Amino acid sequence: MKIPLVEPGTIGPCPVAPDALQGITRQQTNPARWNGAGWQDFVAALRAADVELVESVVACGVYATDAGGTAYGMPHGVVIARDAGQVSRLLKTAQACRVPVTVRGGGLTTEGESVAFGGVLLDMSGMSRVLTIDANALTVRTEAGIYWHSLAEELRRENLDYLSAPLNLTSSVGGTLGVGGIDVNSARLGCSADQAVSLQVVTPTGEIVECSDTENSELFQRVILGYGQFGVITEATLRIRPYTPLAMHYYYYSSLRAAIEDLQMLDRNDASDYSGILTIMDCAVNLLVAFDSDEREAAFRKHWESRLRGHGEFGFALCMLGHYAVRPWKLGEALYLLQRKQAVFPEFRRPEYLRAGKMHDRSVVFSRAVWKHWGSRQMVIPDLATSADKFIAAVERGNAICRKYFRHYTLYCVGIKLRPEHKPHYEMSCIPPDADGWAYGCEFEPMIEGEVYSRDHFQAFKNAIYDIGVDLGASYYRFGGMMKGYIRRVFGDAVVDRHLALKRRADPAMILNRDVIF
Amino acid sequence: MYSRAMPREFPACSGCGLCRLVCPMWRDHRDPRFSPEGLAKALQSGATALELAAPLAACSLCGACDPVCPEGIDLSGMIMDLRSRLPRRAELAALQAKLAQAAASAKAPAAGALLLPGADLRANPSLLARARTLLGLRSADDDGADIALALETGGDIDPARRRQLLGRLDGRSLVVGDGLLLAALRRWLPAARLHSLGEALSNLVAIRRRLASADFYVIEARAYHADYERLVVHYDRLRADTGCALNLDLQRIAIPALTRSLTRKSAPLGDEDVTQVRWMLKGLAPRRIVVESLADRAAFERACDIPVLHLAELAEDSMMKKETPHACG
Ligand SMILES: Cc1cc2nc3c(=O)[nH]c(=O)nc-3n(C[C@H](O)[C@H](O)[C@H](O)COP(=O)(O)OP(=O)(O)OC[C@H]3O[C@@H](n4cnc5c(N)ncnc54)[C@H](O)[C@@H]3O)c2cc1C
Ligand code: SF4
Ligand code: SF4
Repeated sequence: MKIPLVEPGTIGPCPVAPDALQGITRQQTNPARWNGAGWQDFVAALRAADVELVESVVACGVYATDAGGTAYGMPHGVVIARDAGQVSRLLKTAQACRVPVTVRGGGLTTEGESVAFGGVLLDMSGMSRVLTIDANALTVRTEAGIYWHSLAEELRRENLDYLSAPLNLTSSVGGTLGVGGIDVNSARLGCSADQAVSLQVVTPTGEIVECSDTENSELFQRVILGYGQFGVITEATLRIRPYTPLAMHYYYYSSLRAAIEDLQMLDRNDASDYSGILTIMDCAVNLLVAFDSDEREAAFRKHWESRLRGHGEFGFALCMLGHYAVRPWKLGEALYLLQRKQAVFPEFRRPEYLRAGKMHDRSVVFSRAVWKHWGSRQMVIPDLATSADKFIAAVERGNAICRKYFRHYTLYCVGIKLRPEHKPHYEMSCIPPDADGWAYGCEFEPMIEGEVYSRDHFQAFKNAIYDIGVDLGASYYRFGGMMKGYIRRVFGDAVVDRHLALKRRADPAMILNRDVIF
Repeated sequence: MYSRAMPREFPACSGCGLCRLVCPMWRDHRDPRFSPEGLAKALQSGATALELAAPLAACSLCGACDPVCPEGIDLSGMIMDLRSRLPRRAELAALQAKLAQAAASAKAPAAGALLLPGADLRANPSLLARARTLLGLRSADDDGADIALALETGGDIDPARRRQLLGRLDGRSLVVGDGLLLAALRRWLPAARLHSLGEALSNLVAIRRRLASADFYVIEARAYHADYERLVVHYDRLRADTGCALNLDLQRIAIPALTRSLTRKSAPLGDEDVTQVRWMLKGLAPRRIVVESLADRAAFERACDIPVLHLAELAEDSMMKKETPHACG
């Protein structure tokens, strides 16, 4: 897309996707925008409580949209989180004045959940320091606004690493613990939310509470995977591990079904430390398998590698050559594949991240590639999470939807190991209720490729994917892709009403992250 | 598709936040307004340069944000452009005029490769002499110090003066001490063979063989980020060959020792500089710190008691006469 030049001091083209009806001045995209009643009284009360609030366009403009780039909304003012006491004073005042507070970590949601449609935007990135690292107990205590990547930078100084985090450098710990957090090692280690040992939470009424599985466990269960409904996570204690570089292997498939079956076979047998699927096209599928140690890699080679049906890069290139040689009318497709391979593959082999054949700093490699080759001002990534046996159906149906709406798209599939003792956390979350052992997530990512699509086009696409979830009784592997309108359809009235009653009790004025779930 | 040769502008910012991860200004403030993302987003919302004066002044122009931006926005260029729209301190304009006057009366250099030392190295004649000998280069009397100052502080660059400097340098092989000037020369003289002082010295055998695994090697951030794709490979090799630790983060972006901004440039080194140096050294116990830039040396000397050497000081004295014209020549 050609983005026109703009002079500083003038408002440029709106950064979010256009409406289908062109030529209409941008409106906030959420019709339920808070109307600002009593704002000035609130501002005065906040100042009296010694909480700094910024109202300038310079401060508010940063938050006009989220990574999805289809929601648009402006807060009335911004508070940069500095400590739990300040967050507590903010929430107490907001509760009394009935002013909505939207919490933002990395802002990587795609449905506008971290966009404030009026009220206060609480930016957690101001609380982003590591507090203590316990190398013996293998835990870290950190402020929750920290980006996973910044946490990794600190841990690496002690040759340590986090367990699992989104393949995305700028998602925050607090934002992720509330939504899930899936990594390519989640089939073995579970989601990021499973790594939390304890949290400091500021409740919607402003109490500062420490919680864990043994202390204030009910609050802990609701806040983990709770989409920011039951409190602001201000600090977290997380499990960590010694750092290891990875031995990566890539297998290429022309059948998505075969690749998924092999992925699930590896997961069931604990055959690898990392596993996931990334597609370039439906007929060009990459199964990624990686290992933390030489022993695990050797065991895989001995017992499991021969059972995989994928090819090496050279073998797959020959297959594709044969495939397209007899289908000359598909030359365009072949060229796209080649061009994509040439652009993306070197990204995963940059010499500065490879030492003695091992990949160092995988999250940097993956995340930079994601933003460079898939990122744009619109990132529409609806996803589905299902039980293992429904997964192939979900993916194949989702693929058919992608084909209908976009020329090219990518799929990213990964397993999520479930922890039976965490069942209470999983209720009404990204983990589908019928999953046992593992859940599987697939995200459907259209390639925008410089095209301009209207918000309505994106929305229709997302609805069609979510409809599959409703139909299959699935969930959504993170709420970065789920819309409020689907919550009741997915989880049913009984569960949602129970959670709503809990929310009303915890947040009488319904100020915290409202309109996201309820 | 953008390319680094055709950088994009702030309307392209998607808000991915990758630039924050590497920005020392953001690390210091932990407030999105003090980040390249915050600047780009504020501009998208119609902010003027004047409204952004505080972060514009706080930016150290380290250039770390440029190579990480997936949209290929020339962020440090954007900041320099915005600075040029702000009112300028009178003493900076006077200093620039004085430097320009000195440059105008400088002799045109004889043909051949040249060293443009930059203000810091020029202020240390013995080290400059050492660098010159090691590299086998003459140093230019007119090293563009006035233009480097203008780039940093948002001053106007007189087109005639720019032509004069470029006329003196065009077609040569150049080793440039000032990172900002080096980045500008890359744009202005696309055909010239340009190297930073750090790259040129670290290419010398006499220096390489004196680097060891117990050394902490501090890359000068501005020059490195201005030619990131090429230099990331150079320094990766340096690390592999010598075993020394580098001031690179997990993204292979150089952590600058100095977070000194325009506003604090002439002030004494402060606590934030000490914090930055401590962060750089966290988890390391080097025997020596080797710096490419003299400005970085001062920061380390203030914050720790580990010996700090400039790269040019590494070579044995006996080597000073033997070294033949350098590898970049
Ligand atoms: C390019 C891209 C790639 C992605 N890759 C992955 C991936 O590999 N795996 C994966 O799991 N996800 C992925 N995601 C989704 C995204 O990373 C997750 O949703 C992420 O964990 C959100 O973190 P955040 O800090 O950005 O949260 P935000 O988007 O800021 O917030 C998420 C929700 O939590 C609330 N919230 C934020 N901080 C707090 C807090 N401290 N306390 C309470 N509530 C809070 C917000 O109000 C919002 O409702 C990707 C997204 C994008 C755009
Ligand atoms: S040049 Fe350096 S200090 Fe300035 S915005 Fe970029 S990263 Fe931050
Ligand atoms: S890295 Fe570039 S696109 Fe991303 S937030 Fe910063 S300026 Fe914007």
